[in-house]
Amino acid sequence: METSNRKLGKVFLAFAGICVLALPAIVFWALSYGPDEIEAATVETSQTTFDENSATIFVSHDALTRSYLEGTSSQRTLEEYYSRRQYPGSPPWIPHKVEDESRERIACLTCHEKGGWTETLKRHTPVTPHPENTSCRQCHVKMETEDLFVDINWKSILPPRLGRSHLPGGPPPIPHDLQMRGDCIACHVGPGAVAAIRVDHPSRGNCRQCHVPDSFAGLFQR
Amino acid sequence: MKLDRRSFIKLMAMNSAATAAATLFPGVSFGAWSTTEMASGGIVWKKTPCRFCGTGCSLLVGVSGDRAVAVKGDPNSTVNKGLCCVKGYHSIQILYGKDRIQKALVRKNGKMVEVPVAEALDLVARKMQETIQTHGKDAVAMYGSGQWSITDGYVASKLFKGCIGTNNVEANARLCMASAVTGCLTTFGLDEPMGCYEDIEKADVFVTWGNNMAEMHPVLFSRMLATRKNRTHVKIIDFATRTTRSSLAADRSILFRPQTDLAVANAICYEIIHNGWVNWDFVNKHASFHKGKTNIGYGTEDHFKFKDKAETVDFNAFKTFLDDYTPENVEKISGVPAKDIKYLAALYGDPDKKVTSFWTMGMNQHTRGTWINNLVYNIHLLTGKISSPGNSPFSLTGQPSACGTVREVGTLTHKLPHGVVMNPDHRKMAARIWDVPVENIDPKPTYHTVEMFRALDRGDIRFMWIQVTNPMVTMPNLRRYRDGAEKEGRFVVVSEIYPTPTSDIADVILPSALWIEREGFFGNSERRTQHNEQIVPMPGETVSNTWQIMEVARKMGFEKQFPWSEETYIEDIWNEYIQFHDSPKHRMAPFKVLKERSGVQWPYVNGMETKWRYNAKYDPACKQKDFDFYGKKDHRAWIWLRPYEPPAESPDSEYPFWLNTGRVLEHWHTGSMTRRVPILHKAMPESYVEINPDDAARMGITNGSDVKISSRRGSLVMKAAINGRGNPPRGMVFVPFFDEKYLINEVTLDAFCPISKQPDYKKCAVKLERA
Repeated sequence: METSNRKLGKVFLAFAGICVLALPAIVFWALSYGPDEIEAATVETSQTTFDENSATIFVSHDALTRSYLEGTSSQRTLEEYYSRRQYPGSPPWIPHKVEDESRERIACLTCHEKGGWTETLKRHTPVTPHPENTSCRQCHVKMETEDLFVDINWKSILPPRLGRSHLPGGPPPIPHDLQMRGDCIACHVGPGAVAAIRVDHPSRGNCRQCHVPDSFAGLFQR
Repeated sequence: MKLDRRSFIKLMAMNSAATAAATLFPGVSFGAWSTTEMASGGIVWKKTPCRFCGTGCSLLVGVSGDRAVAVKGDPNSTVNKGLCCVKGYHSIQILYGKDRIQKALVRKNGKMVEVPVAEALDLVARKMQETIQTHGKDAVAMYGSGQWSITDGYVASKLFKGCIGTNNVEANARLCMASAVTGCLTTFGLDEPMGCYEDIEKADVFVTWGNNMAEMHPVLFSRMLATRKNRTHVKIIDFATRTTRSSLAADRSILFRPQTDLAVANAICYEIIHNGWVNWDFVNKHASFHKGKTNIGYGTEDHFKFKDKAETVDFNAFKTFLDDYTPENVEKISGVPAKDIKYLAALYGDPDKKVTSFWTMGMNQHTRGTWINNLVYNIHLLTGKISSPGNSPFSLTGQPSACGTVREVGTLTHKLPHGVVMNPDHRKMAARIWDVPVENIDPKPTYHTVEMFRALDRGDIRFMWIQVTNPMVTMPNLRRYRDGAEKEGRFVVVSEIYPTPTSDIADVILPSALWIEREGFFGNSERRTQHNEQIVPMPGETVSNTWQIMEVARKMGFEKQFPWSEETYIEDIWNEYIQFHDSPKHRMAPFKVLKERSGVQWPYVNGMETKWRYNAKYDPACKQKDFDFYGKKDHRAWIWLRPYEPPAESPDSEYPFWLNTGRVLEHWHTGSMTRRVPILHKAMPESYVEINPDDAARMGITNGSDVKISSRRGSLVMKAAINGRGNPPRGMVFVPFFDEKYLINEVTLDAFCPISKQPDYKKCAVKLERA
């Protein structure tokens, strides 16, 4: 046990070393990253929907307790988040057991509207950003098999890159579409949120005073 | 688990390493994603109608380079207002199945061999000409689809009816909404609903007649739920033959025995009259009463013929006719408690409530489909709840362009783009616009769909071209029609995108461009036409169905009728087609307007869409004050005396169960597209038979065990689903038809409505055995 831990330790030390060595390369890459490529790597946000339903942020913020807002949990990773989607922004499938409808009324919102700890799954529940839509299983389906009918030649775009602040320490712009995902609080705050995209300042309730959509209008030109 | 310092550090290191890897390195692939090269300039969003159901959602498809990569609902669309369903969100993945047909295939010595598309089209043209020479023009046929783009159907009709001179043009929409058409025509004289989806926000009560909108029209269903949430007095009543997802979301679920909706609708009218809820002002001014033939048969025999004859009667005759349909009498036939019938009648009868009725296949796939359409209109006419916001008898179509391409272009044997082949004026108009001699257009309709496949079996039809549909899964009493199509001396051409049981029997397979790979139009349930440009390139050697038909027409010598160039043919065809509808009753929007907007409703008059037809406030074609049912010569909507008649086949001691068939949320029709979408297949990998838990317990059938379903026509073995997504009542089973491995249509019956000729897929008798 001791030796295997040591071995692993060395591996991680080596990895850390590579990271340190790679850092200048990353910095160089980040600085040389052309605006075209940055644009391409994310899903364009739409100006028309920017303020649609934006009141939900304030409502959510008011409704939640301080302890919830500050809650953290490292269980959900971005990898898991994207593994349930076919492309960034597509509705995720249902990863847990659900009763078939004839048992009882569809009750997804009992857990996914407010979030919180679920004893059966031993984890914090992710919160939906669009609880006004109550016919959940119109878009979210459960999986019955892992097999495909025939193979598919599907290619997805990359998920948006994180940490895209324009200045060191500056607030990153919103890299995704706001349509049906306009309630920042639902996904970026609380113990059910994906760790990598959870904000470290949940007590501030007016998200869009600092975070603005990245609309790819290019640079201003007279 | 004990955490010591070392393993804690290890854990932290792993976590941060993973996070670093996931966030810092561009190009990291998440899960099993295969990622695409990014085009410069980011994603471009292009509008298109959805490929699937008749709701007609507008989508925005995200394109990166030459690949479709994302979908969102179009917020500019009044249909879906930015929302889609699971099929819509993943619809672009139907383009990328590995077994996509990208080359033409021709059967040579029993084997399919790849040939250049031009060679295959040559063969199709030559074969058609030879067949016409040897067997006559009525030996060639075109079988199309409500998923045809409008231009596909238009050139098919022009080639077959105008140039070749045969009325052998049918579309699968015959199996889907023919009863809705004959219902509209017999009651109003003009086809398609008078209302629009805005009725959903205006109504106080929704009654759904035998449909399951939560799965089949999910976006409209969630609009209904939103209305109920916003205006808490709103009620949704599910009136159906089995318990579905829609029943569970409804305020009331009322079950009736198959076919007895006829009796219940009449009982509702009985109650309306006997409680004094008739809107006399409306009825006196805008309705007239009529009687048709009774005991009209079921069409199960070849060469079946029926023609209805209308006889004008008065209100008293109607009232007397309804005396048989007291709620108490109807309770005995239908199994619906008299108090529930009275409840339904009270909802329709309440002058302060706006009522919208929705229906789809439950009423249309019905051996008295035309009648039940008439009867629901009767209810709305007696109470005057029609053609005004929130008051809407609304027949929803199943397919994205059943209205656009089949009902409006008229790709049915008796139809022309404007009117019917039997009418000399309509023939003259078609001949003028098509630039063909008027004698070319045959005044006699030939075969409706079921009879067309019977004719193929008999040998009366020798050549059939099938586009955008999969009849070797969907024809009722399938075995006969598959055996018939495979007989010696039959030549079947299939335009397809993926291999299907239909392409399996083809002599020629033409590779088709799909949906956003070509420019086109769809027309949805609420008279909305939507244009899409070509958004991604056509793969391999695929070509649009429109172009395939045009090429064959030219090879047959009809260059003059099909002169259009590859660059502008879609626009040119649109401009020719809309000449057929150039009146305030049906005017279509010009190409330029359609290109700009996320759909436009017809009649499009003086730059305005018509939301509610027959209502002078909204419809410029009205000549009278308030309402004008101008489709009929008497300017009135017709209330029909239509009795209850039993179905073609009912359960008996040998075959004691009803068999009901239908769709599921995840799959579009026969699944040839949606089963190639990973998430949809994974969610719904195979078909099943829903059995009532009491029946299952009695027969010792457990969930997932094999059950043999047999009828007088065929049998199959599939897995039982007990307390699954839907729940049939005792004595009924339900089977989804999307799965080509379980061809349930070998079991179903090819009985149809004698007026609409639409088969009844919802009722036949079967027996069950443990297998």
